[in-house]
Amino acid sequence: MSDQPTRRTVLRGAAVLGLGGAAGLLVKKAHGQIFWQVDPARCLNSRLGETTVEACNLCTSECVVGLSAVRAVNEYSRCGRCNICPAYFDISSAVDEKGMPSQKLCPRDAIQRKPIGKADPEDPANNFYEYFIDEDKCDGCGKCVMKCKEPLGLGSIVLRVRYDRCVNCNRCTISTACPKNALIQVPQDEALHPPEILRHG
Amino acid sequence: MFAPEFIYRQVLTIAGKGAGANQFTSTLRGIAVDGRGAVYAAGDSEVKLFDPVGQLVGRWPTARPGLSIAVAPDGTVWVGETGQIEVFTPAGKPLTAWRDERVFGRVTAIGFSSGSVFAGDAEARAIRHIDRSGKFRNDIGKDNPTNGLLIPNGVVDFDVDAVGVVYAANPGKHRVERYSSGGELLGHIGRFSGPDPTGFSGCCNPTNVAVWNGRGIVVTEKAGPRGKLYDFAGKLLAFIDGDCFDPMCKNMDIAVDPRGRVAIGDTERLHVLVFEAVAGGRPA
Repeated sequence: MSDQPTRRTVLRGAAVLGLGGAAGLLVKKAHGQIFWQVDPARCLNSRLGETTVEACNLCTSECVVGLSAVRAVNEYSRCGRCNICPAYFDISSAVDEKGMPSQKLCPRDAIQRKPIGKADPEDPANNFYEYFIDEDKCDGCGKCVMKCKEPLGLGSIVLRVRYDRCVNCNRCTISTACPKNALIQVPQDEALHPPEILRHG
Repeated sequence: MFAPEFIYRQVLTIAGKGAGANQFTSTLRGIAVDGRGAVYAAGDSEVKLFDPVGQLVGRWPTARPGLSIAVAPDGTVWVGETGQIEVFTPAGKPLTAWRDERVFGRVTAIGFSSGSVFAGDAEARAIRHIDRSGKFRNDIGKDNPTNGLLIPNGVVDFDVDAVGVVYAANPGKHRVERYSSGGELLGHIGRFSGPDPTGFSGCCNPTNVAVWNGRGIVVTEKAGPRGKLYDFAGKLLAFIDGDCFDPMCKNMDIAVDPRGRVAIGDTERLHVLVFEAVAGGRPA
């Protein structure tokens, strides 16, 4: 008799593996260890090379949570602390009498800033600025993320699922709508930002 | 409405991305030109030398990836790297290396004046002023409330004019600043101007600068990438349209030869584009 596996045994093995994997995911989910997460390398708003398109706001429009469980987050370690931040200001707006853009970018005014150290009243360019996002105002529309990315910015602002807001739907409505499959389900130990998950999860 | 005094015409494309002897595989960081119009390019871990018509006439390895390159008045070739500067003969033979990671953190620009060498250190966000023996003299661009040049783009770039004045790009302030070799701020040109091309746009521009002695200052910008020529008072004279550059380019090094031919390194397509200024159909 041949030692080659038959088609039936192969299919049976695959079915067992599939069921085992699904069962594993369910067990992990039951223990709260599976999370939805935005993959910045897939997200239209943060992935490189998308330089001439409008920001995608499906995270705002599709999420079942009020405003959205997805919010913009500024990773301070990557932020350039620029005087004229293209995610804070609408840098295409007219320049005001102080030499600054006259309009802000965020439609909900969710980005705030303060000078680091003592502000120079004579020359606002003489300072670094700390930018932080008011998550109670942010609805994850992605406009700031799109403007922050390379080469215009440094890509410090990204969209993140906030686990204290996410209700962890089995079938996330954003993931269903996202054309780039940027909403991914990951176990906690494979998550892109495990410290944050631990804090909010 | 801006009316350019010159129009730049692209006359040459050098190198590019690939494995060929005259190409770069992953990076193109530094550009220099000499008095004859020869183009020196530092990328990957190699220097490539092209004659004025773009033919490869020399190449040699560097110890570490080159971040910048400059040709001294005596013809020696200086390459800025992480933690050191390497010096070569015009034919590429190693002469010496200055190693001091406290002074040469990440050398993204090099310049010269009589008796002095200047090195842009992106880690310190300053220009190091060094004498010809390699002894540190003073910092330039450090004595200010931000304790250095504002370079979110990660590169310090500058050039030195014929009388030793240092022209430094300060992109976070949307300025080109003039310094004495002792570090005194002498003045600046430029301002944030939003969509108006006469100033600088985006978060941080210009990223790179070179001096066309006696004529003006040429710069490059990112997002979108383009080149510009200003007079010394800050009046925009001409610009090089961004269509010829990859839109993802940033920190495009720029050099200008005595005739005004401008060489710009496309950091994505890894080629050097050479432009000639024409006014009324005649060279500027």
